[in-house]
Amino acid sequence: MTTLIVIDQAPYGSWSGREALDMAFSLAAFDQPVSLLFCDAGVNWLRQGQQATELGQKTVEKNLAAAPMFGVEAILADGPACQRYGLDDSNLLAGVTRVEAVEPIIARHTDVLFAG
Amino acid sequence: MTDTPNTHTLHLLNKAPEHSRFARCLQSLQPGDSLVLMENAVLALANSGLSLPEPCYALQADVRARGLSTLNGRHTLIDYQELVQLTADNPRIISW
Amino acid sequence: MTDTTLPLRNNEGFLENAGDWNRDVAVAIAGEDGIKLDEKHWEIIEFLRDFYSEHEMSPPSNRLFVKAVKESLGEDKGNSIYLMQLFPGTPAKTACRIAGLPRPTNCL
Repeated sequence: MTTLIVIDQAPYGSWSGREALDMAFSLAAFDQPVSLLFCDAGVNWLRQGQQATELGQKTVEKNLAAAPMFGVEAILADGPACQRYGLDDSNLLAGVTRVEAVEPIIARHTDVLFAG
Repeated sequence: MTDTPNTHTLHLLNKAPEHSRFARCLQSLQPGDSLVLMENAVLALANSGLSLPEPCYALQADVRARGLSTLNGRHTLIDYQELVQLTADNPRIISW
Repeated sequence: MTDTTLPLRNNEGFLENAGDWNRDVAVAIAGEDGIKLDEKHWEIIEFLRDFYSEHEMSPPSNRLFVKAVKESLGEDKGNSIYLMQLFPGTPAKTACRIAGLPRPTNCL
């Protein structure tokens, strides 16, 4: 009964993904299994080398790196979207699993929540 | 999607018809699924260019707030209690 | 160190500017809660400061604070009783305040 949280929006442009990450951490805090799926422009969360200080925001890459420690089960990324946005083994965050398509991932979860 | 389990899904949709996730939600509907329009998604009721699936529920508070309660259609208006009941009755939920 | 020499803080006692933190400031903030810092406290404070520099956030809730300490320092220290004894009240909040970090977002 893992909850799947889907982040399909790019980082920094809105708060929706950050709120979703907060929700994922809260579920994990209460030992409720949760996974994150990044798709569409949302895969840009997963790029190495982000520096958001000039925006006055925290770097989501660093926030996200705490996910495994907090008990988030899996961080999944939409493979085709990664390809579109030039994300490959050289610049993708560690611990991210790329999947060939998102639909089968969504289909195998009973609780699915799109961010924002 | 050959590995889709045969379970009915309740789709909670809160995006306006122009939002990309609105189309994505409608595309993913399977036979036996139910759709609930809430927040900006209830604007779909006023959009004559859209054909909505059945059963289609719309959250009364959101419909009334937007002045859409006189619209006729094949949708069913529900209150919050009925929404809770729907979430309990369906084995699978996607919040779009 | 007296209250008048402490750097600017918000209404909950968290530092307004992270750069104002040093060990003397930590000792003074802890003193307000009647906590005398020993090496056990410092271990957690250093852990939290490392956590912040790595993740740009405080552990967002008390449960996640405990979880993070457990992952890093083991079960002997990553449990609520141990952390509650060191940092009474809401341990995550008390410890972050002393460590000069932002308030954990989900702590009441």
